[in-house]
Amino acid sequence: MIRFSDVSVVYDGGVRALSNLDLEIEDGEFVVVVGLSGAGKSTLIRAINGLVPLTSGSLQIDGREVTDLDRTGLRELRSEIGMVFQGFNLVDRTSVLNNVLMGRLHSVPTWRTVLGRYPADDVAVAAAALERVGILDKARVRASHLSGGQRQRVGIARALAQEPKLILADEPVASLDPPTSHVVMRYLKTISAELGITTVVNLHFLDLATAYADRIVGLRAGELVFDGPGSECDAGVFESIYGRSLTADDTMDNQAAL
Amino acid sequence: MTAPVDRLPPRSRPSRFAIGSVIGIVVLTYLAGRAVDFDLSGLVTDLTRPNSVIDGLLDPDWTQIWSRRSRSAFIETLQLAVLGTTFGAIIALPLALYATDYGAPNRIVRSGLRLLNSVIRSLPDLLWALLFVSAVGIGALSGLLALFFFSIAVISKLTTDTLDAIDRDPIEAGVAVGATNTEMLRTAVLPQILPSYVSFVLYGFEINLRASAVIGLVGAGGIGERIQFFQGRGEWEKLWGLVILFFLVVLVVEQISAFFRRRLV
Repeated sequence: MIRFSDVSVVYDGGVRALSNLDLEIEDGEFVVVVGLSGAGKSTLIRAINGLVPLTSGSLQIDGREVTDLDRTGLRELRSEIGMVFQGFNLVDRTSVLNNVLMGRLHSVPTWRTVLGRYPADDVAVAAAALERVGILDKARVRASHLSGGQRQRVGIARALAQEPKLILADEPVASLDPPTSHVVMRYLKTISAELGITTVVNLHFLDLATAYADRIVGLRAGELVFDGPGSECDAGVFESIYGRSLTADDTMDNQAAL
Repeated sequence: MTAPVDRLPPRSRPSRFAIGSVIGIVVLTYLAGRAVDFDLSGLVTDLTRPNSVIDGLLDPDWTQIWSRRSRSAFIETLQLAVLGTTFGAIIALPLALYATDYGAPNRIVRSGLRLLNSVIRSLPDLLWALLFVSAVGIGALSGLLALFFFSIAVISKLTTDTLDAIDRDPIEAGVAVGATNTEMLRTAVLPQILPSYVSFVLYGFEINLRASAVIGLVGAGGIGERIQFFQGRGEWEKLWGLVILFFLVVLVVEQISAFFRRRLV
């Protein structure tokens, strides 16, 4: 379980990204965080795995206080949390399999990693992760040779290879076209449901959010302005999250039609 | 309505800094030339004067190319270049990786390594050779140590520049999976710089081959010692024969090295 209590994050330049946030996420939930860019979505996700330090407040994950963790504790925590990025963050100059094996780094001894000699068990986990996202046949291909959708599936496989309790996805489909976005969202949703992995996804398209979310969390200027099931989230609610009336740009299908 | 070309925004003027820099460079060049009494006519009169060194160049001793002692001096030079480059390259890679802002385990290590790197880089090949010739004596070992440090300087400098320009996104992914610094550098950074690094090692080898001739002049072994020997005895024909052979060897090695480097990057 993830519990934010009165969390604030203020960046060095004085930008207030999160403001007195209270939020609880139960195990196995599929939560979509929506809001305009700059509303604090990325900060919320990166606070969970300690990539962004809290300025004040408390953030507990399964009873562990994130701000209290030392380097080793933080690595331990991160190894249990898979992360999927907007820009995929793959190493282009190496194979798909090597990219997915990054998800095994926490359990592989450092000397083996340095020599590139991964244990068979870890390669098996990586292969199973690739199979789950349907690109096992691309394992030996260079990451740079894949299409955008395939690259994001490698990103998901890398997170899966960690055998995580939690997956964080920061705008996972913002660099993809609409059909591919749906493929990627379906993989995230299926994986969460079948493996019982708690999943937090940032999105800025409303139609995608309502289509996939069990629960939607709305952020506006770093404050929680909505928290409820996807079914309750109608146009009026979105206008309150966005602070303006909706336009075609706010839904992926309409934007694609433009 | 006037044509679009007449409505182009005005061209920006060169900045004061740019103008000042150009003036500064011209003035400095002139002052430096005056300080050393630079005179083109002196060069011409010196060249036309009878000169045994130039005579040797016009009539080099080709037999030097096949003499046994020259050959063994060459082999020693090649060995120095290969060993110095290999060991230097092995040390240069971690020195460059752990001195980056993302690769250093902490600030103390980073500052320490950066200081070490700049000290190593500030000394030219000849000074390294002089240093080791005075410390461990005349011979190939001094040459090897000099080329070792010189290789570290060249390869770590070039690798550092490449490390500054890599794609940082995979680093974030490495941190997010809970990797240690070393694991992150190996998996997220090394694959990105490996082709460039190998290319720099080959380039370092080319430079070392040439440097090995220079450091021999101060007694650090290899072909330079042999050149020094002929120079001391005034045997210019033999010296030039040797220089021509050296030129051919460097040419061949550079062609081979360039061929591989082209395929890498």
